Amino acid sequence: MRSGTQFCPACGQNLLAPAAAVPAPTPAPAKELAGGRRFVQLWEELKRLAWLFGLLLGTSFIFGIVWRGIRSPWLEVMETAVMAAIVLIAVSQRYPRLKFLFEVHSSSLREAAILVGVAVLFVVLASAYFELLAHLGVPIAKATGTLQRAGWPLWAVLLLVSVAPGVFEELAFRGVIQSSLERMLNARDAWLIQAALFSVLHLSPLIFPSHFLMGLCFGYMRKRSRSIYPGMLLHACWNALVVVGEF
Amino acid sequence: MDRKWELDEANTVTAHFGFFGKKVISVNGKEVYSARKYTRNREIDFSLPDGRPAVLSLIPEFIGRPTVHLKVAGALAMETPKKPITCGSCGAVAKPYDKFCGKCGKPMPSAEDRELRGNISSATGAIKALAVLYVLGGLLMFAVARGHTDTALSKLEGMPDEATYPTQIEGRSYKVGELRKQIEWEPWGVLIVNLILATIMVALALWARRAPLPAVLIAAATYLVLIVANAIGDPRTLAQGWVIKLIVIAFLVKGIKAALALRTARA
Repeated sequence: MRSGTQFCPACGQNLLAPAAAVPAPTPAPAKELAGGRRFVQLWEELKRLAWLFGLLLGTSFIFGIVWRGIRSPWLEVMETAVMAAIVLIAVSQRYPRLKFLFEVHSSSLREAAILVGVAVLFVVLASAYFELLAHLGVPIAKATGTLQRAGWPLWAVLLLVSVAPGVFEELAFRGVIQSSLERMLNARDAWLIQAALFSVLHLSPLIFPSHFLMGLCFGYMRKRSRSIYPGMLLHACWNALVVVGEF
Repeated sequence: MDRKWELDEANTVTAHFGFFGKKVISVNGKEVYSARKYTRNREIDFSLPDGRPAVLSLIPEFIGRPTVHLKVAGALAMETPKKPITCGSCGAVAKPYDKFCGKCGKPMPSAEDRELRGNISSATGAIKALAVLYVLGGLLMFAVARGHTDTALSKLEGMPDEATYPTQIEGRSYKVGELRKQIEWEPWGVLIVNLILATIMVALALWARRAPLPAVLIAAATYLVLIVANAIGDPRTLAQGWVIKLIVIAFLVKGIKAALALRTARA
């Protein structure tokens, strides 16, 4: 027995108490932490999500580089089309598990009021953030600058800057990413991670805070309603407000 | 590089990894293996004095030194760390081979658990290092940009704000006032962006203590996005500091894997 020890370091038996009175703790069965079946499944799913995120990031990178030489609004159309294709493939691969997001669930008046309250709070906070940036004199690039200079009509700009991101970003982040992470981790971590990924994928650190807030709001609406539609609607409406404000 | 495993009160394994593939393994001071073979992935079998089989594995890593594992009778042995091992519950000093704390009787973490926690700790360290780099980089870039601002503003001297600048910039015409505002904002923009990033990294490093998986995952995604965003602005930045970038990414990926393994084991 080592001096100063009360318990056996090998079996955990209390050496100062009668053996019958205090049974030795059962050691936990040895687990192969990084080699278990569950771990392998989760790691593979995480890799698939990393692929989705990487493809979206890669698309932004390639079009960003091309954008340096060709400043055409059609480039924005092509980028949106490529991203939409990536997202649709990701959704179709997981459709049976995501089906519940596309079903219309009946909700109480209280639930509807909560969703409206979240939407109003989001619009107030996001507007306040952009007002603050404007007040500080931070130059923020217009979302519709190229399209306006090219003389594109409002309906086309709304389709490209409001409807398309509202649908495809929601499908990617609140659909595929949030739902997959919810199954892998837990609802709270999935909610925070998707909001962070959504904000960083906009590639501008100055809007990380506002877009993190957006991700949190849309994610909360998706979690609360178990449907992708409320978040899609709010996302498209917010982008439409920005477009109309810039026109 | 010398490594040591105290397997029990009677057996201690030491391994010495020298230059050009030199490997020497000793059990209780007696040499059991000595060779100079350069292979990245290698398993060395030997026996302990009590007859138990032991395997020393060198697992190559994506970047940096390989991971060294010693398995005795199929079970991973706890490596003797430089600092003494203490019980997580009562803080008493324990031996690496203790399965329970001698003072409070609580189970001690297994060798694999300890290694995974070490990987998470390295990833958290990388996040902290990024926070420091963003602060220092921000201050440095602020100083450099201030110098450029003065030069650029001197070129606009005497031009009224409403006038259009004669040369197009990146295919766009600018009003002088608009251009002046952008030039004045430039150094502050660089500083604020870097400070936002440093704050994000500090927040993630603190959060990693409670929830390592989401924190390290977000840090890795943010870091990758920043590399890409910088490369869109200037593709040459992709090659700048690529070794550091790879090391940071490797630490973060190992951290994610370790956090996921620990989370799976706890579930």
